[in-house]
Amino acid sequence: MSSPHMPADLSAARVKEAALIALLRSAGDVVVGFSGGVDSAYLACVAVEALGADRVTAVIGRSASYPEEQWANARTVAVRVGLTVREVDTDELADPRYAANPSNRCYFCKSELWSRLRPIADAVGAGVLVDGTNADDLCEYRPGARAAAEHGVRSPLAEVGLTKSEIRALSRERGIPTWSRPSSPCLASRLPYGTPVTVERLRAVERAERVLRELGVTGDLRVRHHGDLARVELTSSELDRWLGARDVAELERAVRTAGFARVAIDLHGFRSGSLNVLEGIVRE
Amino acid sequence: MSAETLRTALAREGVDAEVEARGRLAVLRASSPDQWTEARRRAVAVTLAADHGFTHVALELSAADAAVRRD
Repeated sequence: MSSPHMPADLSAARVKEAALIALLRSAGDVVVGFSGGVDSAYLACVAVEALGADRVTAVIGRSASYPEEQWANARTVAVRVGLTVREVDTDELADPRYAANPSNRCYFCKSELWSRLRPIADAVGAGVLVDGTNADDLCEYRPGARAAAEHGVRSPLAEVGLTKSEIRALSRERGIPTWSRPSSPCLASRLPYGTPVTVERLRAVERAERVLRELGVTGDLRVRHHGDLARVELTSSELDRWLGARDVAELERAVRTAGFARVAIDLHGFRSGSLNVLEGIVRE
Repeated sequence: MSAETLRTALAREGVDAEVEARGRLAVLRASSPDQWTEARRRAVAVTLAADHGFTHVALELSAADAAVRRD
């Protein structure tokens, strides 16, 4: 990520971080739902500071809805920051309510995740499950939040009001290597609602995004799956760069190798949650 | 959403492109993608697409065009 937005003055963020530490200390032993992304990495590191490493268990819920490299990255981050992690497989694709890809798909996915993590929390004697939901997430359409609430999962970052940009800035201050990582929602978010989630479609999107990264695409990137057509969302600076005739031919070839018959570049560029807009679930 | 009215509106702005409507997504097939390196032109297309009921507009990359430019 070339230059993530971060606050120039961290004084307010540091107050929130102090509140986060106090909150975690009051919670006792915790199990962290750990994806290796910006938020969960920061949360896990602060939890270790607040409670000590032996009272924090980070758990990776390995899902077919994420690229395999996600888990490799998560393990690398865990080693770099001194976290002990466990791993458990989730199987939300076997749930037809999830696989049908309704607009509340995330509810079924998170229900599966937390139902897998709860026994681990019980086994290690941790009373509290926590996730990396941040304050900005509360403004978005997040059906998974209901699943978290039903399973008694707390969201400490959101509870103390920490925003994504503050988390990035505090992470950089702490030397956590994930501070500049682009957001990486699950691959199912590339499929329009109603298009069934299948391993084949997830892997097609994964391949397309991987080859574009290998080509040199930087920043936020999404390949949205519209059946035979791949719609590529890039940042505006990447649009400027790749729409030159020579470069766009390479980009098109790369996405075709992933299995799409047609390739289109979104002229607006990357928008988080753009399929929610397409489906009329949220308005811009 | 109207692909035909969007096509007409784009032509008035000097953009010659066929428009395919896929729900709220407008897929443009234009003669050359390099005219779209200008951010202002992209912004015009996005605004016009929204005016005509589309939430998204994407430029299709043509294999035929790409082959010609590679030559």
